[in-house]
Amino acid sequence: MYKRSSQLAMSAIAAILGFLVVVQLHGQQASSGLGAMSAQDLTVLVANLNTRNDELRTEIANLEAQLSDIDSAQAQGSTVVDQIGLDLHRIQGWAGLQPVGGPGVTITVAGKISGPAVEDLINELHNAGAEAIAVEGVRLVPGSVVSGPPGQLAVDDEPLDDPFEITVVGSKEALTGSLTRTGGIIAQLGATNPSVTVTVTPLDNLLVPATRRNLIPRNGHPRL
Amino acid sequence: MTAVRARLRTIPSWQVTLGIALLALGFLIAAQLASEGPRIRYTTQERPPLVETVTGLQRQQEDYKKRILELRGAIQSAEQQGQGSASLLRQLNDQLDEARLAAGLTQLTGTGFAFELTDSTQAVPAGANDSDYLVTARDIRAIVEELWLAGAEAIAVNGERITTTTAIVDVGGTILVNSAYEAPPYQIVALGPQDIYSRVAASQGFTDFIRARAQTYGIGIAILQPETVNIPAFAGTVGFTLGQVVESPAP
Repeated sequence: MYKRSSQLAMSAIAAILGFLVVVQLHGQQASSGLGAMSAQDLTVLVANLNTRNDELRTEIANLEAQLSDIDSAQAQGSTVVDQIGLDLHRIQGWAGLQPVGGPGVTITVAGKISGPAVEDLINELHNAGAEAIAVEGVRLVPGSVVSGPPGQLAVDDEPLDDPFEITVVGSKEALTGSLTRTGGIIAQLGATNPSVTVTVTPLDNLLVPATRRNLIPRNGHPRL
Repeated sequence: MTAVRARLRTIPSWQVTLGIALLALGFLIAAQLASEGPRIRYTTQERPPLVETVTGLQRQQEDYKKRILELRGAIQSAEQQGQGSASLLRQLNDQLDEARLAAGLTQLTGTGFAFELTDSTQAVPAGANDSDYLVTARDIRAIVEELWLAGAEAIAVNGERITTTTAIVDVGGTILVNSAYEAPPYQIVALGPQDIYSRVAASQGFTDFIRARAQTYGIGIAILQPETVNIPAFAGTVGFTLGQVVESPAP
């Protein structure tokens, strides 16, 4: 009698154990991705996706207009040199091959700060809509990294002094607001690096130089 | 003491097994209830439509990106067939091809390798921060920075090309790259010299990253070494809203 009831109890417990292990493992996997996001986070994500989609729609409209200009120039038998020149100018500027001027902010960073912390600051600038950035006159392009421990920072093999300056072209208001908001990147840096001071100065006109890096890949080629 | 031992010896073995199984059951029920907490909090009525909206917007984004790449291809063809001085056109088109390559507007193939980052599968200890066990935007940025320092020439994260304007940010428990929502696992593909992995592996920054994230929290880092890697073209906005391109003075 004892043996039979103990076997039944063991079977029931084994079944429940198995079920719980599977549920637990499934729960661990589901803890990332949309399923794990709160309504508030999803709302922020929707706002981000809407902004990006608006930008993409604008880009599509610009490209359609550009294509239509080239097509009409060709239909009228006129040259497309001007259109190509404009396209070249825009892409070279965006890629970092030409200097860019306009409104923006300068950021003076003083104190013992690490390369990754400066990179966090730069990432926040990109997120706030920076259009071109230079660190102590070095234009930031893919491949440029501010690296090194505090006191030994460098960018593109150029050592950085203390203090050093970051020049950013973009909306003065958006950049200043994003950097200095409560809980923003400057507040975070201040909390983790109390000796660091970051000063943001909005300016009506500043210049970000062209890169000196060669941006043509040597280990790859266009995939057709 | 002897009486206690004698009493223990009289307990049937099935009772001991049952006791251990009940202990494990209790532990699992407690773990399940603890992990259910945040999910129950998120089960609100407004979530399903929001998730649906996100999925719809992502689909829309993919369509827009495809359209942008199509239009750029059409513009490139039209520019190459344009009328005007043949030598001037050729020169301008060559410069344009180079500028597109430099800007990340051209799909590339070549040597390189890839990392894949996955969330930790370790159980989160009581009182610990759940997000420490998930891949964060800072983790991806750390790997991208190490790859650039090791000589990478082009990088993409889950198919999003890293460009001059790319931000990689956390939103809740997810990551946005170029404002595109990316779900785990995160594949970071780099085009660069053949020995790029050994260069990354030898760097202090990468060693520190492995110690801080993989060894401490169990963040998964897999290394993929395909013969060739493909890096997609950037499909996004190219240009300025407020900035203006200034001609470089002639050298």
